[in-house]
Parts: sequence; structure tokens; C-alpha cells
Amino acid sequence: MLGLFGALSLGARSLQTQQQGVEVTGQNLANANNPAYARQRVEIQSSIPLPTSIGPEGTGAQVVAITQVRDTLLDQQVQGEASITASLQSQQTALQTAQTNLGEQLQSSSSSANATSDVGSTGALASDLSGLFNAFQDLSTSPSSMPSRQAVIAQAQQLTTQFNQLDQGLTSLNTQLNQSVQTDVTSANQLLSDIAGLNHQIAGTDPTSGAANDLIDLRQQKIETLSGLVNLQSATDSQGNTNLSVGGQLLVAGSTVQDTLQTYDSGGGQLLVRTASAGTPLTLTGGSIAGTIDARDGALKSLQDGLNTLAGQLISQVNTVYSPGYDLNGHTGANFFTGTNASNIGVNPTLANDPSALQASGVAGATGDNSVALALAQMANTAQAGLGNQTFAESYNGTITGLGASLNSVNTQLTTQQSIQTMLQNERSSVSGVSIDEEMTNLVTYQQAYQASAHFVSVIDQMLNTVVTMGQ
Amino acid sequence: MRISFDSFQNSLTGQLAAMSTQMNSLQNQAATGKRISQLSDDPTTMQQVLDLQVQNSQIAQYQQNIASLQTQATSSYNAISGLQTISARAGDIATQADGVTSPQQMSAYATEVTQLIQQGVQLMNSTSQGAYLFGGTQINQPPFIATTDASGNVTGVTYQGNASVPSAEIARGATVAVQVPGANTSGSGPDGLITDSRSGADFFNHLIALQNDLLAGNTTAISSVDAPALAKDEDNITSQIAQNGLVQSHLSAADTLAATQSQSVDQTISQDSDADLAQTITQLSATQAAYQAALESAGKMLSQNETLLNYLS
Repeated sequence: MLGLFGALSLGARSLQTQQQGVEVTGQNLANANNPAYARQRVEIQSSIPLPTSIGPEGTGAQVVAITQVRDTLLDQQVQGEASITASLQSQQTALQTAQTNLGEQLQSSSSSANATSDVGSTGALASDLSGLFNAFQDLSTSPSSMPSRQAVIAQAQQLTTQFNQLDQGLTSLNTQLNQSVQTDVTSANQLLSDIAGLNHQIAGTDPTSGAANDLIDLRQQKIETLSGLVNLQSATDSQGNTNLSVGGQLLVAGSTVQDTLQTYDSGGGQLLVRTASAGTPLTLTGGSIAGTIDARDGALKSLQDGLNTLAGQLISQVNTVYSPGYDLNGHTGANFFTGTNASNIGVNPTLANDPSALQASGVAGATGDNSVALALAQMANTAQAGLGNQTFAESYNGTITGLGASLNSVNTQLTTQQSIQTMLQNERSSVSGVSIDEEMTNLVTYQQAYQASAHFVSVIDQMLNTVVTMGQ
Repeated sequence: MRISFDSFQNSLTGQLAAMSTQMNSLQNQAATGKRISQLSDDPTTMQQVLDLQVQNSQIAQYQQNIASLQTQATSSYNAISGLQTISARAGDIATQADGVTSPQQMSAYATEVTQLIQQGVQLMNSTSQGAYLFGGTQINQPPFIATTDASGNVTGVTYQGNASVPSAEIARGATVAVQVPGANTSGSGPDGLITDSRSGADFFNHLIALQNDLLAGNTTAISSVDAPALAKDEDNITSQIAQNGLVQSHLSAADTLAATQSQSVDQTISQDSDADLAQTITQLSATQAAYQAALESAGKMLSQNETLLNYLS
């Protein structure tokens, strides 16, 4: 038998238990808007009963642990999907920037027939490319006409400027993407260090006290942030440490950072990622770093290579036809274009000052001959072996729509991916998120239990008074 | 499924963002009339449209070429017509001189023929857009130079041009030459207008011969040699006028064809890239209605902030 004092202790334990329940409910309510937070609950167990002659007698209840409601499987799924989403988002950003740089956009007035400005959008390369061949056409009808010659030169200068600017824009984008890889690697290393530190703190905390719960929340948040940078493999050991690997290389083991990430130049200034100590190149399949590298070395490289090939072929093919031609003064042998690729293509500077130096004639002294101008004009529809048997315009259109196709694919994947991630987050939220209604119910339950326990203590107190004053 | 406190907000913001994106896209389509505008909107169709636009641009340029060639052809026609008048008058003089015995009358005819030669040279040195029309591809100098003696009689007309003529494209792979060389004695290539070895035409030399025979009073030569020779010249000139007419007709047909092709390409571009406005606006209205419903329901839920807390005293 507990006796009155035992009963008083039982009441005190009960008050303490319900109070802890209220406190945990308060903690849950306070974190209702914290996305990293996993709701907590008190684990209440009956206290150890006292053996009596009539059987064990209960001694009330006590809190044995404050636990988090977490689903590790869902956490890992969210991590994995975060990697994929971040990869697609960084690809989308890079490809959208390139698409904007290209400036090719259908205008609402595109159907009106105009020989110089209705291809793509005005001022874009497609329009200038078409404009150059149209200018050659115009020259072929009046090969000695100065205005026609000036128009050819002006159109060619506009085209070469477009090539140069486009190449410059893509090179600049490439540099920005490399900087982004570098920044992400630095952030990832900081997160690896933070997670190892949190592992250390969590391991040093009493798992039943609930003190580690907030640290676990923070660690999970950092792991998910890290997953947005690189795809991770995570595993929790028996001490509660979360160990992390990237590309099969163990980076965090318990409280120790085994290795970090490092960028290296794979050639041509293109940064890739490897482990810093072991120097093992990593093949990343998710996270923003992988997305950036994929966009840079995939669609953007194809675009830039395509433009360089196009510019190179344009230079060589036009010069081959143009060089044997004769200008109005009987001179021959000069080139029309200078340079070798999109970055350095230019128009022979002599032409800018002297349109009569344009070699439109195929016969010495025959200024009315237009054979060179006509041959140049007809190149617009000539399939070029160096461009996969496509014309210049087809090659360019194919190159830029290749970028469009890549971006379209990324956009579609990202839309699906975001739905998946939202569903997973909602699913996790349904397990770990705080419900105000639920917490209020708990609060009322604990409050009422607390009131009842207080009343119980009051009754015992009265009984004690009765006992104390019994002999008076 | 258990709904936590942030589930509602997360779902709402996600749904509103998705609908805003859709409305933005539909609004762009309605405002521009284009179903696609960016490369990524529909890459396959975009490539077709870009290729078609190149085609359309080329057609527009062919139309400009045709207009330029029509101007040149008209200028040539005017000059050749003038030449035909000269040829007809020379033929008349050759016929009329047959029965003339007066030296003064013969001399007057000779003077007229001299003037006809000079008019002919002047016509053959016509220019269009700054270029000589009848010098072949030698367009920076007068194609014909007449030399005269002390009496003003023409002693010779030299051709400074060549027998080549430039061609220009009027449709993909189709070229046409509208110009006529002043002379072609090579036996191949385009017919010469004044001198042509295949037809036997040598207009200026035949006129000079007529002039000289008139001055010499050699009526036999006029009737037996000059008149038949001039008839050949007239045939050649008439043939050139007919040829010019054919070229102009060809250009006109090519222009009509180009306009039809351009219209057809425009229609294809429109079908590929234009938005179906009725469908777009219907979709936009439906999305707007859904958006409003989402906002209204969300507004009610957020403003009333219904939780168990409201009912606890």
C-alpha cells in the first residue's frame, strides 16, 4: 500500500508528467511553421508498481522519453528527389540564359514577307544570316552597284558582330557556370563539416532526453541542403551518426570529415569535381553541381560547338568562292571573311573602307559579271558537307532548336519532378508536420489530466490534514 | 491522410504558382497571337517555322530580284524598240533609194543614215542603274564607239563589250538573264543584238555600207546587198524584242508564283505557330476561374483561421 505520502508522490509525478506533455505540445506549436521540424511527443509509461499482498499496486506514470515522429525512408526519398530537382533547376537556369542570349523569338509580325527582317527576331543571328545571302542576291542583280555592295558589307558586319556577341555571351555563361560549381563545392564542404559537427553533438546527448531532437532536425535540414548540391548516399549507424558518401566515396564518418570535395580543371577551363585528399574524380548524378556541369558540357557545349562549326564553314566556304573573284579595280585573291570561328569571325577590313574592293565578278575587268555574287547567293541553298549536308540556315536552326529541345525536356522533367517532390513533402509533412488541431487536443487532454492530478493532490492533502487533526 | 499545419499553405502556394504560370503562358499567347514564341516552347515546330521563315525571306528576295530585272528588261526593251524604229527607217531608205537617180537625194539619204547610225550607237549605249545595258558584262564603258571621217560620215563602229551576260536567280535554282550583248561573233552563247554571227546580223556595218553606197550612188549594191542584209538585221532585232517580251513574261509569272508561294508559306507558318485564339481565351477563362476559386476558398480558410482553438473556451 502506498500510503498517503506515496499517493501524494504519485500525484506529484502525475503533475510533472502532464506538465511535460504541455511543454512538448508548446514546443510543437512553436515550430508549426518550421519546415525542418519533426513533431515530438512524450512517451509516458506507468511507474514501477509496488508489490503488495493483494498484488502489485500502481505508482502512477512518468515520461520516459521525448521522441520525434520521423520516417527515415521518407527523409531519404526527399533527399534523393531534392538532388534531382536541384539538378534540373540549375540546368533550366543555364539553358534559359543561353536561350535569352540567342534572342531568337517568333514575332507576331513574322508572316509579313520581308527579305531582311522576318526570320526569327530582328537582330538575331538567323535574320542576319538570311540577310547576308539576300544581300548577295541583290548584288547579283546589280554587281557594280555601290549601294548593293555597301549593303552586303553592312549585312556581313552585322552577322559577324552577332556571331562574336553570341560567342562572348556563351563564353561568359560558361565562366559563370564554372564559378557556380566552385561556389557550390565550397558550400558543400561547409555543410559536410557542419554535419560531422552535428553528428558529434548528437552522439554526446542522452537519446531519451529529447535534447538531440532539435539537433537531428538541424542535421536533416543540412543533409537536404547538401543533397541539393550533390547526390548523397546516407546511412545512420548504431550511435545515431549519419554517415555520408558521394559517388561511393565516404566523406563523413561519424564526427569526422574523411574527405572533402574539390574542383579541378578537366582541360579547357571546365571545372569538374573530385575528392580533395584521395583525388578521386566523382561522377555526380544529381544536385545543382551535376546539373550545372551537365548543362555546360551538354547542350551549351553543343550550341557553342555548333556555332563555331557554322562560323568556320561560313568563313571557309564563302572565302573559297569569293577569293578567285575580281573587284571593280581588277584586284583578286582577297578573302571576304577573316577569322576561324564564331569568336573571331570578321569582315575583311579593306571592304569597310572601299566597297569597290568587293570581288563580285568572276572575270577580270568585267565589272558587270556577277558570277561570284551569284555563286555566293546560291550558297544559301547549298548543302554543306561540313555541316552534315545541311545549308547554313538549316544548320543554325538545327543547332538552336537543339538547345530549345534540351530546355523543353528539362522544363517537362522539372514540372514532373516538382510534383513528385511536393507529394513527398506533403507525405512527410503528414507524418512529421505539426497539426494545430491535434496539438490543441493534446493540450486540452494534458490540461485536464493536470487539473485532475492537482485535484487528486488536494484530496490527499485534505486526507493528510484529517489524519493530522484526528487526535485533536 | 493526416494534414499538418503547413500542408495547406504548401499545397495552396504550389497550386497558385502552377495556375499563375499557366495563365501567364495563355496571356502571352492571346496577346501575341503566337502559340509558340520561344525555342523551348515546341522545338520541332520551331525548327520548321524557322526554316519556313528562311524560305519566305528568300522568296521576298527573289521578288526584289525580279523587280530589279524587270526594270532592266524594260530599259532594254525601250532601247531595242528604238533600234527597231531605226532599222525600219533604214530598210525604207534602202527601198526608196533603189529608184533615186539624183545625187542630192542620195546624199540626203546618206546623211539620214549617218544620223540613224549615231542614234543607234546612242541607244546601244543606254544605261540602267548606272550600268551600260548592251556591253555584256563590260558595263563600265560605252559598248559602242563610232568613228567618223572629216565629212562626218561614220567610218566604223567598234564594240567594246563582250558576249557574256549575267544571270540572276528568280526562284530557287532558276536563273534568268535579261540583258543582251551588243555583239556575239563566237557562234555560241546569247544572241548579239547588233552583231550576231549565227543570224548574220551586223546592223551598224550594214548601215555604214548603206551610207557609203548611198554616197557612191551604187543603187545596185543597195538593192542587192544592203537591203537584204538590213532585212536580216531587222529580223534579228524583232527576234530580240520577242525574246525580251518572253523574258518579261517569265519574270511576271515568276513574280506571281513567288507571291503565291509566299502566301502559302505564310499560311503554313501561321498554322504551325499561331494560337487558336478561341481555344486560348477559353482556356484562359477556365484557368482564371480556377484561380479565383482557389483564391476565394483559400481566403476564406485563411481569414477564418479555423482550428480547434476557436472553439475552446
